[in-house]
Amino acid sequence: MPLKNAHTQPHTSAPSWRWALLGLALLIAFLLPWPLSPLWIRIATEVIMWAGLAQSWNIIGGYTGYLSFGHGAFFGVGAYMTGIVMLHLGWPFALGLLISGIAAALMAVIIGYPTLRLRGAYFAIATWAFGEMIRQIATILEITGGAFGMQLPSYLNLPFFYYLFLLVTGLTYLTTYLLLERSPFGYKLLAIREHEEAAEMVGVDTVTIKIKAFALSAFFPGVLGGIYAYWVTYIHPDSVLGAQLTDFMVVMAFLGGIGSLWGPFLGAVVVQLVNRVLWLVWGEGTFYLIIIGAAICTVVLFIPSGIIGLLQSRIFLPGTAWKEIRKKVKW
Amino acid sequence: MLIDGLLIGGLIIVVGIGFSLCFGVMHIVDFAVGEWVMLGAYTGFILVRYFGHDPMIYLPIVFLIFCALGWAIYPLIYRAVSGKRHNPVLMGLVFTFGLSILAKGGALSVWGYHIQSITTWLSGKSLALGPLTIPALRFSGFLFGILITLLLMLFLYKTRLGITIRATAQDREMANLLGTDVRKVGALVYSLYAGVTGMSGILIGALFSIHAAMGVKYCTMAFFVVVLAGMGYVPGVIIAGLILGLLQSFVGVYIGGRYNLLALFMVMYGVLLITPKGILRRGI
Repeated sequence: MPLKNAHTQPHTSAPSWRWALLGLALLIAFLLPWPLSPLWIRIATEVIMWAGLAQSWNIIGGYTGYLSFGHGAFFGVGAYMTGIVMLHLGWPFALGLLISGIAAALMAVIIGYPTLRLRGAYFAIATWAFGEMIRQIATILEITGGAFGMQLPSYLNLPFFYYLFLLVTGLTYLTTYLLLERSPFGYKLLAIREHEEAAEMVGVDTVTIKIKAFALSAFFPGVLGGIYAYWVTYIHPDSVLGAQLTDFMVVMAFLGGIGSLWGPFLGAVVVQLVNRVLWLVWGEGTFYLIIIGAAICTVVLFIPSGIIGLLQSRIFLPGTAWKEIRKKVKW
Repeated sequence: MLIDGLLIGGLIIVVGIGFSLCFGVMHIVDFAVGEWVMLGAYTGFILVRYFGHDPMIYLPIVFLIFCALGWAIYPLIYRAVSGKRHNPVLMGLVFTFGLSILAKGGALSVWGYHIQSITTWLSGKSLALGPLTIPALRFSGFLFGILITLLLMLFLYKTRLGITIRATAQDREMANLLGTDVRKVGALVYSLYAGVTGMSGILIGALFSIHAAMGVKYCTMAFFVVVLAGMGYVPGVIIAGLILGLLQSFVGVYIGGRYNLLALFMVMYGVLLITPKGILRRGI
């Protein structure tokens, strides 16, 4: 299979306007809580959390080409770990977060070793079964509060959680950029995605590399899950281990464009905003599922490179727009 | 109680066979399998509500409706898994995943979270077989499962078309070289699978209950059966379906009903790790 992805090309240094744009975006993100009402701070916080989750999924699903359909498990384990550490051990929140992240990564190493030998559909089904297994275990165990869940001490400080999510999600993107876009590690992952046997033949230690990528992609959901638990203060198996967590990660990453740095971010912003705006307009509903389902089908059928693929082509320049769209949208 | 499990297994076998064929022929893992069951159950429910009569009469009609639906959707799936895509298998996976979200969302928006049920003339009756009493509906569901399985097996092993399908499942490239229109075979298999699954949806709806989010449960069962059987190996599905039924009853009776799903997922995960080709080692 020919290497057609832009990321396999040698990197040229990004033009300075991109750095300026990034700086501007960060500045806006920092100042965002001031003008917003508490409701919108909540929505912004959710968007940022999902951006981090979608990117974590992208590390294993997009860059490595192993579709994990049980990624919600790492989020849930993180949430429960923080809950247990704070509630049963009485340790501080920060320590809980650290333990959450390490626990999720450790779990990824342990299950990754046997599971990552499977490929394609087999890997997807195995991770799915594993994710559901963790959820059933959380429903049964005493320490997690069973089906009733856990009540954490409450700490009402919206901006605090906003900035914390922003920090961790920012770290997710920074790690992805440094480790996956700018280092040999990233190239090894791409080699595995494109042709695993060939990668192994030229000396890539595929087993270790895959496990590292899986652990990395599990660490951040663990930490984000920990913050989420303290933020919403009440967690139960359906809220932090439900199928919708994995679903949304996959959908966001695919919609934005898998295997790219900013794709999952765009996907998260679009999906979560649409979701919340519909919720504000019509109240609690399930209509967003239809939109999301239709959107994901459309992306798979016509725009496999996602929103980011559309944006990266020069659709904004006059004259070339139509040609570029025709090139990206496959009929 | 053991008999009970076996009876339910009979219905799941029907769903599993279609699913397994799909994977064998087209290498598609259909995440929407549970949604086909759900839509089939709702179609039966609506037909009964508007036209009356017994739901059993509508089995062939629902079969035809879903065959047509499968036939209509197939070109899209074919598009998703072919062409110059990075990873066709994964694209197919995500596409059917999108379909399942779409169907679930649609059903939830239209019918909400209400739980419905279908009543047939068999509901509430029971059969006495020697010392055992068996609910008539479960028994007829089992009979239906056996019947459809037999028909499918006859079709696959005795007719020319069936042999073509199996040949395509065995070696797609070779079948294509020898003059099989792989795309048409795929369309046939997919519509057959959709029809059979939708049809069993009516019986499942009559046996249990109908609600928009019921798909996940049957998706789980179908995956379990197919993984145990070895993906793409059709005869294994029968054994795996029976194991599923037995496991459910066994765990329900001796360990506790809430461990049911856990046991299912643990066995599925374990089988995938230890022998990904299924317990008979005959999958692809």
